[in-house]
Order: sequence, then structure tokens, then C-alpha cells
Amino acid sequence: MTTDRTHARRRRTLTVTIGVALGIGALITAFPFLWMLGTAFKPQRESVTFPPTIVPQAPTLEWFNTLFTELDFGRYLINTVLVVLIGFVGLLLMAMAGYAFAKFDFRGRKWMFFLVLATMMIPIQVTMIPTYLILNGMKLTNTLVGIALPTLVSGFSIFLFRQFMTTIPTEMLEAARLDGAGEFRTFWQIVLPMSKPILAVQVVLTFISGWNSFLWPLIIASDQKLYTLSVGLALLNQQLAVNPSLQMAAASVMVIPILIVFIVFQRYVIQGFALSGLK
Amino acid sequence: MKRTAQAAIAVMTAAGMTLAMSACSTPAAEETTGPLTVWVMGDSGTNFEKLVAGSGIAVDVVAIPWDSIDEKLTTAVASGSGPDILQIGLSKLRTFADAGALLPLDDEIANHPALDPANFPAGISGTATSVGGQIVSIPWTSDTRVLFTRTDILAANGIDSPPATWDELRADAKILAARGDGQYGYYIPQWDAPLPIEMTWSMGGDVIDANGNVNFDTPAFQKAVDLYTGLYADGSVPVNGDFDQTQGFISGVAPMLVSGPYLGKGVADSAPELDGKWQASPLPAGDGGSISLFAGSNLGVWYNTDQKEASLALLDYISQPEQQLAWYDMTGELPTVSTALEDATLNSDPNVKVYTDQLATAKVLPLVSNWDGAVGTELLNALNAIALTGADRKASLDTLYSKTAGLSIN
Amino acid sequence: MRNRLTPYLFVSPAMLLLITFGIFPIFVAAVISTTNMNISAFANWNNVKFIGVDNYTKLFADPDFWQAIGNTGLFAVFGVPAIVLLSLGVALLLNHSRSWFFRALRAFYFIPAITAIVAISLVWGYLYNTQFGLLNYLLSLVGVPQVQWLSDPTLAKFSVALVAVWRGTGLNIIIFLAALQGVPKEYLEAASIDGAGEWKKTFSIVIPLLRFAIFFVSVTTTISWLQFFDEPFVLTDGGPLGATTSASIFLYKEGFRLNQFGYASAGSIVLFAIIAVITLIQLRLRRADDDY
Repeated sequence: MTTDRTHARRRRTLTVTIGVALGIGALITAFPFLWMLGTAFKPQRESVTFPPTIVPQAPTLEWFNTLFTELDFGRYLINTVLVVLIGFVGLLLMAMAGYAFAKFDFRGRKWMFFLVLATMMIPIQVTMIPTYLILNGMKLTNTLVGIALPTLVSGFSIFLFRQFMTTIPTEMLEAARLDGAGEFRTFWQIVLPMSKPILAVQVVLTFISGWNSFLWPLIIASDQKLYTLSVGLALLNQQLAVNPSLQMAAASVMVIPILIVFIVFQRYVIQGFALSGLK
Repeated sequence: MKRTAQAAIAVMTAAGMTLAMSACSTPAAEETTGPLTVWVMGDSGTNFEKLVAGSGIAVDVVAIPWDSIDEKLTTAVASGSGPDILQIGLSKLRTFADAGALLPLDDEIANHPALDPANFPAGISGTATSVGGQIVSIPWTSDTRVLFTRTDILAANGIDSPPATWDELRADAKILAARGDGQYGYYIPQWDAPLPIEMTWSMGGDVIDANGNVNFDTPAFQKAVDLYTGLYADGSVPVNGDFDQTQGFISGVAPMLVSGPYLGKGVADSAPELDGKWQASPLPAGDGGSISLFAGSNLGVWYNTDQKEASLALLDYISQPEQQLAWYDMTGELPTVSTALEDATLNSDPNVKVYTDQLATAKVLPLVSNWDGAVGTELLNALNAIALTGADRKASLDTLYSKTAGLSIN
Repeated sequence: MRNRLTPYLFVSPAMLLLITFGIFPIFVAAVISTTNMNISAFANWNNVKFIGVDNYTKLFADPDFWQAIGNTGLFAVFGVPAIVLLSLGVALLLNHSRSWFFRALRAFYFIPAITAIVAISLVWGYLYNTQFGLLNYLLSLVGVPQVQWLSDPTLAKFSVALVAVWRGTGLNIIIFLAALQGVPKEYLEAASIDGAGEWKKTFSIVIPLLRFAIFFVSVTTTISWLQFFDEPFVLTDGGPLGATTSASIFLYKEGFRLNQFGYASAGSIVLFAIIAVITLIQLRLRRADDDY
């Protein structure tokens, strides 16, 4: 009995110790982010004073106002959301491919899957100019589709879909087929609903990459009206006359929505990875 | 729950697809009467729109982030689809003219007298910036390097006037650096590749030999290296690469530095309380006089624009002295048209007078293809290796000579 | 009706995109790497000449290329274990309790992974600044003199790698947390009854069960370090004096700053080959491990 109680007490102490350590670690990890938020509310003079202040002494909303009234951040925000939405089409295509790799036996499956994995190893610098020329040939420069297309599918995501979908029982698919469901209907009504956890993972990954997209919006857009938030933020990085407060406000506008998406989806995300056989 | 997830995916997919299609069906406006597309660097573009509002020519201004100019220009050249007009830094001019990206303008100048090279200082117009014998750009803003000093701090340390020669500067910097720990006399930006060239010019030399080849193996360049590395050896300059020159000047940590008009504007804007405590003065002189850099940017017309006449009309408009002065009022960037540079109101500001006087003798960097990447980087690598890491001087310079051998302005 | 075409219908849209934007460019690069192509090619394609393996011979004789490869190797050798161990450690600790507090902490550790690189460069640039940076200010409070985070060639390597580690752990923590959910409770309870302590349970039961996740994270982390680009690009531009120039940065500069497309393509083919070989070796080791 006494040993049980000491055991429980020891375990309690351990949990508290770990909790404190993780709390400190979390604060350190999130510190640059918190500092960014703090600076976004500082007047310009305060943001360059030394020693630096951590909590704004005279908070102001001036910079957020500037972003959306004087600068075109409202439009950049809309473009970014549109790029993310187009990204979700890619999500569907990747789910389809992952499904085929997981549940069908067909000629060429092996080498096609090998190609999928090989794309993960290719440095982006290699593909930049050829990709641009292809998009230009397809007359897709200066369109939102052209911006989203090069990153629409990724080897990593197809791989994750495949890993997950191999765990779907084949009998369920057979049953659906016996009931006369077409292949696409089987995919839409059986496979996708069963893949909710991995879809949650992919939604977050797609959201992150679409939301932060910088290179392609920059290169493909020959019209500033198609810029995304990342490009708008880079524009604030003038060579000499920088305004840290304004930059941080813009950076905050970028990070906060994505943080909300993650917090909403995080339970499913962890589940998704768990079920995709990554153990 | 299943239903909602499914519905959500369906909606997102549908939205994405519709978007994809609508975006497909509306490609960029390519018709020959639409607004001109103008690429400007860094600025948010609103100032430029304001400037050309009175011209009656519709424009679409696209601001390109400074850090991404290379990707943007290279991909545009590769595909042949660029803007109608673009701002181009002098250091990139040769590269993009060689790539055929810029429309030769020689035949057009007769119809647009405002673009005549005679209207601009000789240092940047006509042959000074033509490539392969052709004029491919029109000077737009000018920029030069002068000496900025905190006269209050100099006076407090017994220095009555800003140094007029590099020797004086080096001696003064030593005195100022002796003010204490963390205090410096002068500041050398570690990314400033033109500075050693300005020093070489001031020492009476050049980095281009009589045949047009890049040549650093000259006595004048050796003197420039002595000066550059000597300032470090004296402990007069900060060694960290991320030193902020504006803040350093305002706080007095680095009370002397060579910079451009933007520094003056930055100090005036963010530290008005320092008015009267600092000034601009001519670049220190060497045996060759005070010869500074003519920097700034030009405007070019994209080679396959389908709106050549409108583009030229716009260039003509913004080359009018009134527009050039209006641009200075908006942004603090100096004009390039001679009559605007001589404007009495402009020169009533003593600092501006220093800039415009300096421009009279200033020179542009040699138009070597890819100057920044091929020469500038190597030059800084060699000098900074000597000054910062104590690398062997002769070996470092020999590497510089061999890396830049064979480059020429021809 | 079971149609033989079905699987092809499912894979083809994604495969088409992958081949167009992923695979095809590498063949283009391979062809370009045997030419002297530079930006003047766009003015006149006659300027392009076939030069065989000249770019490769020049590349292998270029000390800057070897410095970049050496830096990349160094980054990978220290960076991969750092990210794998750190994210595994944090995940194990986060998994210790199911309370709301532990759950809430996850979001904090995930923040770096979701922050855009442009924002990261701004924030860390200010933190690292020698004169006005917060890090040096905090150090000065305890009497440490100014540290040159990004200006000292040796320290700059550490500084950019630290940002990459900071940014790289988030997603991997999530992967490990997910994998930890797959550890059967019964195993741990049985071990507790046998009197095994926390340490013993972690090392003899949990970690062996995480083998596949550890392998997966190691492979993807290795690939990302070999392609290391973002952090040095925005923080130091490969400097000071090339100390943080990774292979990708080197390629980028040759290609987009110097416009030597032939030369840069040769470099990218070499980098691709290196990544492929290292990944294949990792896969082989994994298979050998399974056999055992």
C-alpha cells in the first residue's frame, strides 16, 4: 500500500517536472512568434530602440490599418485564399493516386511509385526555369492556376495517402462494387470518408504550403494584383528604410490564420498520421 | 459528421475547379491598347502611379521585391514575356542587354527629344551606358556616394571639419574610435562592392585597362586596399556584417560613413532632433581627386513590347524636368535630367547641393556583363577575407586577379 | 464492370503533373548541363554550344563548389540527429500525459513549422542583430560581450542551422506523437506490473516500436538538409565569405545571379545524384535491419 502511494506521488512529481520543462521549452520555441506579435503593435520609434522592449509600451493598431488601407494586403489575402483553394483540387488528385497505388495492381505501378518518391529528392532550383517555360508555353503565366500548378501535387503527400489507404479493408471495396457502385463512386463514398484522418493531415499540409507560397506567385504573376501575402511581405523589405513594426504586423497577419487552422485540425492531424502506419 | 466532411470536400473542390476555369479563361491583358505594364523595384508602386497619373497613359505598376529581382528578370527573359517598361539597375544593364531583353532606342530618340542623351550628365548617358554601341535605357533616378558626418561628435573630439582626404579620414576615424568600447570612427558596409572601386578612382586609377579589360593589378588599387584594410586594422570600423548604418549614425556609434542620399533622408525622417548636427560633404579625395559612384537606375523598354509608342511616350513624360522634380519630392530620389539637377530650389538644400556637385564628376561602374556576380562578389570576398579573417593579402588578391581575368567591357 | 483502365484513370492526373513539373525538368537540366548555355542564349539560340562533360570537369575543380558540398555535409551530419532527437524527445515528453495542459502545448511547438520563411527571416534577423538584437541584449545583461551571430563565419553556420532546427521540429513532433498513439497500452501496463520504470519502458518498448517513424523522419529530414536553402538564403545569403553557402545556394547563385545555366545544371545533377545515393543507402540499411 505505502509503495503504491509513493509510486503515485513519484509519478505526479515526474508529470509536474515534465510539464514545467515542456512549458519552458514551448515558451522558448514560440518566443520569436510572441516577439513578432509584440512588435506589430509598437510605434516605429519603439521598435528600433535599444534596449528592446518586449511588451509594447504604447500599443497601436496603426500598422494593421496601413496594411489594409494604404497597402494592398486585402487583395493579397484574397489571392492567398484562392491559391489555397486551388491547392485542394490537388489534394483530391493526390488522394486518387494514393488510392490507386494502395488498392490496385496494375502494370507500371512499381516504377510509377518510384517516380513519386524520386520527385521528393529533386532540388527546387533545378526545376524552376523548365517549369516556368512549360507554364509559359501553356499560356498560364499571370494566372492563379499557373501559380498553384507547380506545387499542386507532391510526392510526399501521395506517399502518405498510399500508406494510409492500404489499411482500408479490401472487402469493403468489393462489397460496394457488388452493389453496383462505379469505381469513382466507391472512391467518393467509401474511400474518402474512411480517409478522414489522413485528409485532415493533408488539409493542414496543403494549407501551409499554399498559404506560404512565395516563389511561384512572384515569378508567375506579371501583375501585382495576383501577389500573395508572402510576396507582399517581401515587398516591405526595402533595402534601407525598413519599418520593423509594419513588417511584423504583416508577418502576424500571415501566421495567425494558419495557427487557427492547425488548432482546429490538430486532433485529426495526429490521428491521421497515427493511422497511416507510421509506427 | 461523415456527411459534413464529404460536403466540405466537395465544396472546396468545386470552388477550386471553378476558380481554375475562370482563371484559365481570363489570361493577362495582351491587347495593344491596354495599360502599360511597368516593373519597378522595391517600392510599393503607388508613388509611380501617382507620378504618371497626369500623363494620360494608363499603367499597371508591378513592384518587385528587392531580394527577388534576379529570379523575376531571368524567368521573364527566358520566356520572352516581360513588361512594357522596366526599371533596371545599372549593374544589371549589361546582362539584360546582352540577353536581348531591352529594345535599342537610338532610332527613337529623334522623335522624343526629351530622351536625347545631351539632356543628361555625360557620366550616365549616351556612350557611358550604351551596350554594343546601342542605347538601351534612359537614365531615371540618380544616386551617388558622399561622406556623412556627425559634426557634433567630430567637434567634441577636436575635429573641426569633415575630412577632405582619405588620409584625414583614416586619422579622424582613429580618434573617434578611441572614444570607448563599442564606439567606431567609420563604417564600411560589407556588402558595398562599389566602395573599393570609388577608393581606386579617388587614388587616380581605374579597374579597367586601356584595352577595356578588368584589371585590379594596379598601384592605385593597391592603395585602395591599403586604405580599406587599414581602416579595419586600426579598429576604426565595426566588424559585424549586420551593422545598421542608419541607427549607427543616429546613435553616434559610427559618426562617419560614405552613403547615398537615402541615408540623409532616413536620418532626417527618423531623427529630426539631430538637425544641424550632421552634414553631407564630398567624398574624401585621394591623389586622383574626389571621384564618386554614379549609381541609380534606368528605365528600359522590353524588346518585344506591343506598345512601343505608348512606352516611349511615357518615358518622354517622366524625363521632363517637372516630373523628375516631382519624383524627388515624393521619394527623395534625385533626378537625372541636367536641368532638373541644376534646379535652384532643389539645390537650396545644402546637402542636395553636395549630391549634385558630386554627380558632376561621378562615374558609373564598368559595364561588364554581370558585374555584381562576377566582379563585385569576388572583390568583396578578397577584401573582407583580408580584413576580417586575416587571410594572406597576396594570395587573396591573386585569387581576385585570376577570377576576374578575361572579363571586359567590350 | 472491372475495367483495367480504372487504376490508370486514378493515377494519371497526379502522375501527369508530377512528371511535368518534377521529373521532366531533371531531364531538361541533364541536357542543359552538357552545354555552355547562359543568358545570351535567349537572345540567340546559336549561342548555345554542346560542350560534353566540360561543366562537370570544371565543377569538380571549383573550390567554391567543394566548399558548398562540405557545408551541406556538415549541416546534414549535425542537423539530422539534432532534429530527429529533439523532435522525438519532445514528442515523448508531450505524450507523457493526456491532460489539457500537455495538449495545449503542442500548438506552441508547431508554430515554427507553419511560419512563412519571409516572416522567419524578419524575426530572426532582428533577434540575431549584433547591435540591436534581443539575444545580444539578454547576453549583455549577464555581462557577455557582443556576439556576432551572423557575421562570424563559424558561428553563422550554427546560427542558420539553429533556425532550421527550430523550424524543422514541428512537423516531426506531430509525426512522432501520431506514432506514439500506435503503441499498445497493454505492453506498457504489462511492463509496469513487472516493475519497469519510465526510462526502461521508453527505451525497451516505446522506441523500438517507433522504428518505422524514426526511419521515415530520418529519411525526409536528410533530404531536406541536403536541399538546405531557405534559412541561409534569407539570413546570410550564403555568407560571410561563403561559410553558409549550401549546395542549393551555390546552384542558385550560379544559375540566377551569374546566369550560367549549363554550369548550374551540372551542379544540380550532381546534387540530385548525391541525394538519391544517400536515400538509397538509407533504404538498404532499413531493409537489412528488417531482415535481422
